[in-house]
Amino acid sequence: MARLYFEEINAVISAAKIIIRTGTMKKYIPLLVLFFVGMSFAGLQAQTTPAHALTNVTIHNADGSTTESATIVWRNGVIEAIGTNANIPFDAYEMDGGDSLHVYPGFIDGLAIWGSPDLPRSQDLPRLEEPGNPPYDRAGIQPERKPSEILKEDKAFEAAMKAGFTTAGLYPNGYMLPGQVEAFYLSNESEDVELLKESFGLAGSFDEAPGGWGSGAYPSTMMGVMAQFRQVMFDATALQQHMKYYAQNPEMPAPDRDQVLEALFPLVNQEKPLYFEVDQKEHIERLFKLQDEFGFDAVIVSGREAYAKADELKKRNIPVLANIDFTDIPEWYKKQKEAEESDKKEEDAPEEEISDEEQNYREKQLEAWKAEVTNIKKLMDANVSVGYASAGMELKDLSGKLEILLDEGGLSESDVVKLMTVNTANILGINKTHGSLEKGKNASFSVFNKVMSEEKAKVLHSISNGTIHEFEGK
Amino acid sequence: MNLRENKMKKLITLFILVAFGFTVQAQEKGSVLIQNATVITVTNGDLEDTDVLIRDGIIEEIGKDLRAPRGVETVDASGKFVMPGIIDAHSHLNGVDINEARNPVTAEVTMEESVDPNEVGIYHALAGGATTIHLMHGSANVIGGQGETLKLRYGVSQEEMKFEDASRTIKFALGENPTRVHGQGNGVQPRTRMGVEQVVRGHFDEALDYKRKREAYLEAKAEFDRRGRGTPPVPVAKNLRYEVLNDIIEGEILVHCHSYRADEILMLMRVFNDYGVENYTFQHANEAFKVAPELAKNGAHTSVFSDWWAYKFEVYYSTAYNASILNANGVVNSINSDNDQLLRTLNHEAAKVVRYGNTSVNDALKMITLHPAIQLGIDDRVGSIEEGKDGDVVIWSGHPFDIYSKAEMTFVDGTKYFDLANDADDMRIHINPGTEFEDGSNFRRIVDNREEDACLQDTFILLGEQSAHNHN
Repeated sequence: MARLYFEEINAVISAAKIIIRTGTMKKYIPLLVLFFVGMSFAGLQAQTTPAHALTNVTIHNADGSTTESATIVWRNGVIEAIGTNANIPFDAYEMDGGDSLHVYPGFIDGLAIWGSPDLPRSQDLPRLEEPGNPPYDRAGIQPERKPSEILKEDKAFEAAMKAGFTTAGLYPNGYMLPGQVEAFYLSNESEDVELLKESFGLAGSFDEAPGGWGSGAYPSTMMGVMAQFRQVMFDATALQQHMKYYAQNPEMPAPDRDQVLEALFPLVNQEKPLYFEVDQKEHIERLFKLQDEFGFDAVIVSGREAYAKADELKKRNIPVLANIDFTDIPEWYKKQKEAEESDKKEEDAPEEEISDEEQNYREKQLEAWKAEVTNIKKLMDANVSVGYASAGMELKDLSGKLEILLDEGGLSESDVVKLMTVNTANILGINKTHGSLEKGKNASFSVFNKVMSEEKAKVLHSISNGTIHEFEGK
Repeated sequence: MNLRENKMKKLITLFILVAFGFTVQAQEKGSVLIQNATVITVTNGDLEDTDVLIRDGIIEEIGKDLRAPRGVETVDASGKFVMPGIIDAHSHLNGVDINEARNPVTAEVTMEESVDPNEVGIYHALAGGATTIHLMHGSANVIGGQGETLKLRYGVSQEEMKFEDASRTIKFALGENPTRVHGQGNGVQPRTRMGVEQVVRGHFDEALDYKRKREAYLEAKAEFDRRGRGTPPVPVAKNLRYEVLNDIIEGEILVHCHSYRADEILMLMRVFNDYGVENYTFQHANEAFKVAPELAKNGAHTSVFSDWWAYKFEVYYSTAYNASILNANGVVNSINSDNDQLLRTLNHEAAKVVRYGNTSVNDALKMITLHPAIQLGIDDRVGSIEEGKDGDVVIWSGHPFDIYSKAEMTFVDGTKYFDLANDADDMRIHINPGTEFEDGSNFRRIVDNREEDACLQDTFILLGEQSAHNHN
């Protein structure tokens, strides 16, 4: 109730800051008046929440098309009407986009570590009696952790919304089995980040135990992680069998219950996918090996070299939540491009003298870099299901990386929108409600001041699950 | 499009074509007819003016005046020597990690899952006539990880590098390395050589105990599932470590044991006799010459350095005659590198055995071909030039024991992976795009310092001895 009330105020303030009309009065009203009207209205209409309507905007659809002079109407977090002739209900707070604003479906980060507890510092790790047999958490085996239970305050949430994200898959930052994957409605206030979909996957990686090589616990190498992954799967299998037997046969010895192993049952039973963070193609092959042994479904997270395994990924029906944390553009290539883009004639630019050896090196370097930035394009061309995940990349780097993706990665703006909306929603299994703007879908979208790929484009308002978050002027 | 850009695009296209062609070629078995060479067969003497025909990766015919089948390339090797590809029974060349050093026993880990196929050192090894290596786990643990035998097919995937159907192997280690890492470093057994023996025995016993329990469980489970009544058994989880230890006891895995002193070599043979372990090779084994008759009696093999010792206390006592003495006593002995630089000149290492101990040239050649093949369980496929064996051969400009000879061409499965006449400067397959030319040009130290056995690489950090053993 109180929450609803504040939402209304929020909505009213937002609306007032654009150009405001009410459905019946069609007349500009000073901000303060509307503020009070809004409050009283919220009080009166507590049983049925009023609708919001955003009119005269350009909608960039997930399929790449645009709808100009469009209206979006939503109520209780659900889109009621959308398009050029959407019916605006009598009780709607109407905001006029003035034909200059651009609406994009809320971007979805497929897997982020926002709000996750800090990793332990090496010097804080306790010295172990038996480094070869550490407790599960000390080994990085923590599949029981759920983001919804341990989420903490993080400034990244607000930064994410300012970057156009309204929805995210989250997992706790960690090591080989860091925890479960859950989807959230974002908010600029950490405490308002709400669960959208509970535990639908387990996260994994080839990361060795905390502290790495120096500070001591098994597994401390990748081959150790491979072996230990198998062992915990075997142990979980045995415990599950024991629990099943015991449920039917109370006369037998009781099983030693273990929340860590029990959290692995869905993986053992092939009921939930493993969201596995992996980049190198050899590591991807190692993941295939584990998949062949245990039969679980997998989603590749990050996947910088996934293009090299595109056909196999397609065959195995493994989606990729791709990272765009590309290596910086080679310095010489950047200069070369700048020279080409500037109006200077070729003769004016001093020709750089380099050896054949360096020239050969540059060709290899550029080839390697291009392979990295065209990863997503190649995956798309191979019909691999590919979405987006920050997977640890900081939001301040996003715009620069998106620029590379558009300039050098072979993707158009609509490809990028698709990647970060409907594609990612499909992979997370939230596509019935998220990923596109349609009647009946969740009201999660971002209002940009201009086309997102244009210079100085920024998010003015972010609507997540129907709630308006305001960034104008900030 | 300006000229420069045009040139670059052409070059890139060319590079992609070359790279692609290389990959396709790499995955296929090759065919070649090498003509008029002195063929060092290893098992059937040296054959003058002889041709070797390799078809689809297999040596099809050895003889005179052979005709090249249609489409098969011929190489004139007049005045040159052809020998079987060199096999290194002890290498850490392209391991992603070497030591899972956090437990004294890590039989469950395997170097099969730690292969870096992009390591340019593979190409450098090919340039030295090597075609097969035994990629080993390090020596930090009493029972370390399993090894992986690899063919040096540079440019293929980690899976395709594997020597198909090679025997499984595992690394053991005695003496100072495990006692330093675990006893002194972690405060767990073993701290002494006595402790090392007990770690082996204790784990074998635990593994046997596990096996009994696991089998009893599986039997009772099958019975319960079939009858559908009675009381079900308490599950015994599958245990990867114990499964591998049982495979060792049952003879399915060849043991390669890092060792130096005669007393510890005898100790392990006693332990193995008690548990019925039969196929094993002592690696390094600098004091093996002292117990050569005992080794021969037990059928144990050795794999030694030609003339390197005194790099730590337990290895002060050795001799350059070690290999010759072992050979004279009928012990199957190989010469290994345990070092990425030495791997490129194993022919010189074998030649030293002739120089020091007057071992015959052919016996010394066996130490880098047939004998390591026996020790790795691949002698039915490689290690000599015989009809029906794999086409892993090297063409040398002169006799491989001549210090002036160079490997001119190296073939694996009949496919040419190294050709001195077409030896590009930069053969890296994979470079990090973030590495600038200045940092990337000296991409690999070809000459490694040789201060300590490479088996313990990376583990000094565990011992707090980083500064003393800094390799830079």
